Amino acid sequence: MLDAIDKDLLKKVADLEGLPKGAFNIRKNGKLLKREVSANINIESNADGSGIIVTIKPGTINESVHIPVILSLAGLYDVVYNNFIIGEGADVTIIAGCGIHCGSLEPEGHAGIHEFRVGKGAKVKYVEKHYATGPGRGRRTLNPTTKVFLEAGAAAEMELTQIGGVDEANRANEATLGPDSLLLITERVLTEGNQKAVSANTIILAGAGSRANMISRSVIKGDSEQDFYATMEALAPCFGHIECDAIIMDNGRNETVPSLKARHPDAALTHEASIGKIASDQLMKLMSLGLTYDEAVNRIIQGFLK
Amino acid sequence: MLELKDLYFSVSGRDIIDGMSYTFEKGKFYSITGPNGSGKTTLAKLIMGINPVSSGSISFQGKEISSLSITERAREGIAYSFQQPARFKGITFRDLLAIAAGTDDEAMLLALLRRVGICSLSFLDNPVDAKLSGGEIKKIELATTIARNPKLAIYDEPDTGIDLWTIQPMVRLLKREQHEHGTTTVVVSHNRAFLEAADIVLMISEGKLVYKGDLTDALPMLNDLSVCNYRKCVGDKDVGCYR
Repeated sequence: MLDAIDKDLLKKVADLEGLPKGAFNIRKNGKLLKREVSANINIESNADGSGIIVTIKPGTINESVHIPVILSLAGLYDVVYNNFIIGEGADVTIIAGCGIHCGSLEPEGHAGIHEFRVGKGAKVKYVEKHYATGPGRGRRTLNPTTKVFLEAGAAAEMELTQIGGVDEANRANEATLGPDSLLLITERVLTEGNQKAVSANTIILAGAGSRANMISRSVIKGDSEQDFYATMEALAPCFGHIECDAIIMDNGRNETVPSLKARHPDAALTHEASIGKIASDQLMKLMSLGLTYDEAVNRIIQGFLK
Repeated sequence: MLELKDLYFSVSGRDIIDGMSYTFEKGKFYSITGPNGSGKTTLAKLIMGINPVSSGSISFQGKEISSLSITERAREGIAYSFQQPARFKGITFRDLLAIAAGTDDEAMLLALLRRVGICSLSFLDNPVDAKLSGGEIKKIELATTIARNPKLAIYDEPDTGIDLWTIQPMVRLLKREQHEHGTTTVVVSHNRAFLEAADIVLMISEGKLVYKGDLTDALPMLNDLSVCNYRKCVGDKDVGCYR
């Protein structure tokens, strides 16, 4: 059922060796490949068949669900709408990710639109990796969208990673935070060659006592280009922070625009942004420990994107 | 074991290191001191290859190293502890220590922690980032230098950011490394504790080596350098000539 290419892609995007344990839904070339549900986690196709609805029962603790997507069909642009309903008091991990294997001159692409509704006091960790490979020169596109709604006391930790090979990515992250909720987004994107990636983020701190931290780490190699936009809007007494760092190598280009909007007098919003080459003191330190220049660069990038 | 011969480092026509020659002996403890801006750190960086030599030679264990890279000098056995250590994003103390020691073996890393006197195991997984205090990052810097098992260890102002109570243990640590591992130790410092620990005190002023010997004879010069004195120097033996 899983060929060698499928297995390689699943390993890269979801750290899976074969089929996962527990609930999962594997989508291949726009169609369901395999699905399993568990006692607490239900997965069903939505009404028009354009995606899935994952429902996690209230109080479900320490369970995970894998929903990887793999593409290896020339010319396919797969769009999927997935909904996640996380019940009150649950504490779960969702592992998504999309791997593209391109073997021809024809383009391949995927757009995953993921909407999360996290119930009162629930916690979710969402891990999403994007990766493309293959000998074909067809354009590989990945356009993920995440929309997060956090109810009172809910928490979401989102790890969004693009680890290489993707020619074009338009990422959009939106979140609305209820009272005393917590959101942590860490986005790591590596581009090289002539690749282009845009990340647009809008976080609305609507509830009193809500907290959000958005961290973006970009590495821009070759002639590639990355743009990062983040807006944090506070409607209540809350705390928000944006930290965006970009390392430029070769002829990479970057535009970073953090934006803070306080609509409440007790809002505390901060940001720090940096764009630049690898700091020479970091390189010298690692070289003084015996690494070559290239080894030091790789180690710094590896840590930066870890 | 380290020989500097007619060493110059010039920037925009100004000699920051001005024709320095000196031979460091194996296994000795040297403290380099002198006024701010006299060229102490520049000299240390020339030895490590961080600054390029303008002219002259540096020979380490009989091998000319002035054209070698930082990496090549590190692999020859020279280690360097930076005055302002680099901070990273996503790299932990464990990562740096493993690179320095050439192993990520847990038992060996723990042995290194014991060797440098760091008692907290949780410290190992601290990110080496901007959140660390000045004292914490200096301990990491020292530990990664010692983890190289260097033949020649250069410490540039190791006491910067360190609290008073930590300086003596730090001096004892460097002396222990000198005695137990035969490490030739060069400490750039203004701190009397390091000057007292040295077998030989070297004093630099305006890029020249103006004194080499024990601390007792160096003290009049150091005291004179610490006060304002605008009178003209008179003769070679006038300490005012060396400010």
